[in-house]
Amino acid sequence: MKLLQKAAWLTALSALGLTQLTVGASAEFAAKGDPKPAVILFGESNDGGWSQSIDESRKKLESELNLRIPQAEKIPETATAIRPAAELFIDRGANIIIGSAFGYSDTFKELAEQYPETVFINPAGTTNGPNLKSIYGRTYESQYLCGMIAGGLTKSNKIGFVAANPFGLVNWTVNAYLLGARQVNPDAELSVVFTGAWADPVKERAAAEALIEQGVDVLGQHVDTPTVQVVAGEHDVYGTGHHRDLSEFSKATQCSSIWTWDRFLKPEIEKIAAGGFEKAPYGAFLSIKDGLIDVACCGEAVSDELKEKVMAERDAIIAGKHVFAGPLSDREGTVRVKEGEVLSDGDLWSMDWYVDGVSGQ
Amino acid sequence: MSSGNATEQITPLEGAGIRSETAPAPSRHKLRLVPLLEVRQNVPETQRLACYAASLAVAAAISFALLALSGVAPSDVMREIATVAFSSPRALGSVLAQTAPLVMAGLATAIAFRSNFWNIGLEGQMILGAIFASVVAIYDVGPEPARLVLMAVAAMAGGMLWVSVPAMLKQRLGVSEVITTLLLNYVAFNLLLHLLYGPWKDPVSSFPHTEQYEAFERLPLLGWLNLTWTLPLAALLAGLLWWLLSYSRIGYLLDMTSSNREMARAVGVPVAGLTVAAILASGAVGGLTGFSIAAGVEFRMTQDFFAGYLFSGVLIAFLGRNHPAGVVIVAFFMAILLLVGQSLQIFFQVPSALVQLVQAIFIICVAASEFFLTYRMHWRAAT
Repeated sequence: MKLLQKAAWLTALSALGLTQLTVGASAEFAAKGDPKPAVILFGESNDGGWSQSIDESRKKLESELNLRIPQAEKIPETATAIRPAAELFIDRGANIIIGSAFGYSDTFKELAEQYPETVFINPAGTTNGPNLKSIYGRTYESQYLCGMIAGGLTKSNKIGFVAANPFGLVNWTVNAYLLGARQVNPDAELSVVFTGAWADPVKERAAAEALIEQGVDVLGQHVDTPTVQVVAGEHDVYGTGHHRDLSEFSKATQCSSIWTWDRFLKPEIEKIAAGGFEKAPYGAFLSIKDGLIDVACCGEAVSDELKEKVMAERDAIIAGKHVFAGPLSDREGTVRVKEGEVLSDGDLWSMDWYVDGVSGQ
Repeated sequence: MSSGNATEQITPLEGAGIRSETAPAPSRHKLRLVPLLEVRQNVPETQRLACYAASLAVAAAISFALLALSGVAPSDVMREIATVAFSSPRALGSVLAQTAPLVMAGLATAIAFRSNFWNIGLEGQMILGAIFASVVAIYDVGPEPARLVLMAVAAMAGGMLWVSVPAMLKQRLGVSEVITTLLLNYVAFNLLLHLLYGPWKDPVSSFPHTEQYEAFERLPLLGWLNLTWTLPLAALLAGLLWWLLSYSRIGYLLDMTSSNREMARAVGVPVAGLTVAAILASGAVGGLTGFSIAAGVEFRMTQDFFAGYLFSGVLIAFLGRNHPAGVVIVAFFMAILLLVGQSLQIFFQVPSALVQLVQAIFIICVAASEFFLTYRMHWRAAT
C-alpha cells in the first residue's frame, strides 16, 4: 500500500518534470538585461590564497562596476554540489556565473548547454563553449620573475619549492622558477617537494622544514596556503609566494606571483553586457600583458639592482619574451624546445618533465 | 568517591568522568538537585518519535537564534527550506540527486555496524570500487552492452577486496578494525593519486582525472528530474537490505550474533561466516557507492569524488539506527540540510562556517536525544 502511494506521488512529480523539460533550447548566446555576476568559490573566501584572490577581485569589481556580486564558498568539486549552487543563482537572476576550480569543468559544460542565456567563466577550468570560457594565467611568467628574486637572494645556491601536485600547470611554475633563478645565478639548484594536496598546511609545513634542513635558504611555493612563507619566516630564510601577495603573513616573503582577476573580469563583464562575449574554443590563457597575473615585488631584502633586473625582465615578457624559449633540455638530456622555437601551449599543459637542476621526488 | 556518602549511586555516566553527585558542602544549606539515571527497558515508538521531534525543535530554535543574530529572519529560513526542497521539480531533483549516494554510503556503514564491525574505511572502499570500475571502462573490458554491469560487479569486488584485509586481520589476529579500515583510506587515496597523476591522467586535458566514460559506461538518465539510475539503484539496495536484515533468516541470525556472540555460537549459528559475509557486503556496497558517483554523477574518476562520504555515512547509519529505512529517511534530510545550507549562503551571504555550525547543531541535538531514549532521568535533592 505504501508502495502504491509512492508510485502515485512519483507520477504526479514526473508530470511536473515534463513541463520543465521544454524550457532551455535556444541557439546563440545573447546577453539579457544588466550583468548580474555571481561567484562560486571552491575554497573558503579567506583561505589566504586561491579562493581569497578571486574573492578579493569580486569585492573590487563590486565597487568598480557598482554591482552587488554575491558569492558562495566551499562548494566542492562534485556535480551534486555545484549544480544546485549555480541553479540557485540563476533562478534569482544571475546571468554571469564565475567558478573557481578545474573540477567544475564538466558540470559547467552541462550547465552552459542547459542555460544558453547565462555566461559561465571558470578560472582553472578546461571546458569551453558558446557561453562558457575557461581562463587561466601563464603563471610561469610571474613565477619566473619570483625565481629571479630567489636566485639573487640565495647564498647556498640551494632553493626549495613546495608544490601541490605534479602535472602541467604546476610543473611549469617549478621549471620557470629555476629558469628565473639561473637568469641571475647560474649555479642555483632547485629541490621540489610535492605535497599531493592543494591546501594542506600540515604537509606544507613538513615539506618546508625538511627543505630548510637540507640547507635551502629561499623557499618558493605553488600551494594554496601561506604556510611555507610562515615557516620561512620562523627559520630566517627568504620566501616567495603564490596566488596573492603573501608578505602580509610573513616578513620572509620578498616577491609573490599574484592573480589580478578583476583586471581581466572588469572589461570582460562590460563586453558581455554590451553583447560582445568572445568565444575561445581553447579557453583564455592569459599573461602578465593581458592583466590576469603579475608579481607583487619586492621585499626589503631585495637590492635595487636586483629589482631593476626583475622589472626589466617583466617588461621583456610583456614585450613578447617567452620563458620556455629554446634551446631547452630536460634533466635527462632530451631536447624539449629547439633553438629558435618556444614551447607550445599544448606542450605546456602536458608538461611532465623538469629542467636540469631540478631535484626531488 | 571517597566522600563516604552512603547514598552514592553508580550511574552509567561515571565512567565518562561525569559525577552524578557533587561533593557535599555541609556549610551551605542550599537545596541542590542532582540527576539520577535509570536505564529504560523499552521505549514505545510514539515516545521515540516525540523525542526526535523535540530534539529537532530544540535544534531549530538554537539555529534560528544564531541565524537571526547574523541578520537572517526565521521566516526567511522557512521560505528557503520550502523553496529548496519542494518548490519545483528541479529543486526536488537536486535533493534526490544528493540523497542517492548518501543512502548508499549510509547502508554500507550500517551493514558493518549491524555486525559490530566498525568499518571506518568507506572512503577507501569507494575509491577501490571506482578504480576497479575504471579499469573496466578504460581498458574496454567486455562487450559494450554489458560494460555497465561489469563495472558495477568490478566495483563491488574492489570494495570487498579492500575491506577483506581488515576483516581478516580482525578475525585471525584480533587487530582493531577501526584503525586498519581508517588507515587503509589513506593507502587507497594515495593509490588514486598515483593513478590520476600517472598512467590514468586525462589524455585530452592532461589534468589529473581519468578520461570521460563513454555513454554506455554511464548510469543512464531516468528521464525524470534530470536524475540518473543512481537513485533506483540506491532504492533497490535499501529495499534488498531491509528485507535481508529485517525479514530473512540471515538478518535474524546476524542480530543474534551481534547481540551475544557466544550464545549464538552455542546454539549453532555460523558466527564467523555470517560476520565475514556482512563485512564483505558492507565493502561491496561501499564499492558500489564509489561506482555510482563515478558513473552516475561525475562520468569519470576525479580526485575527490569520495570526499566527505565517510563521516556522512557513519552519521547517517548512526542516526538511522543502522536500519535501512532509517538510513533512507536520514539521508533525505541530510540532503535537504546540505542544500538549504547552500542557499542560505547564496541568498543571505552568511559564511559557510555558520552553515556548518547549523548543520552540526541539528546533528548533535538528534544524537543527544538518544540519551533521553536510553535513560530515564530523575531529579533528586543532594544531601
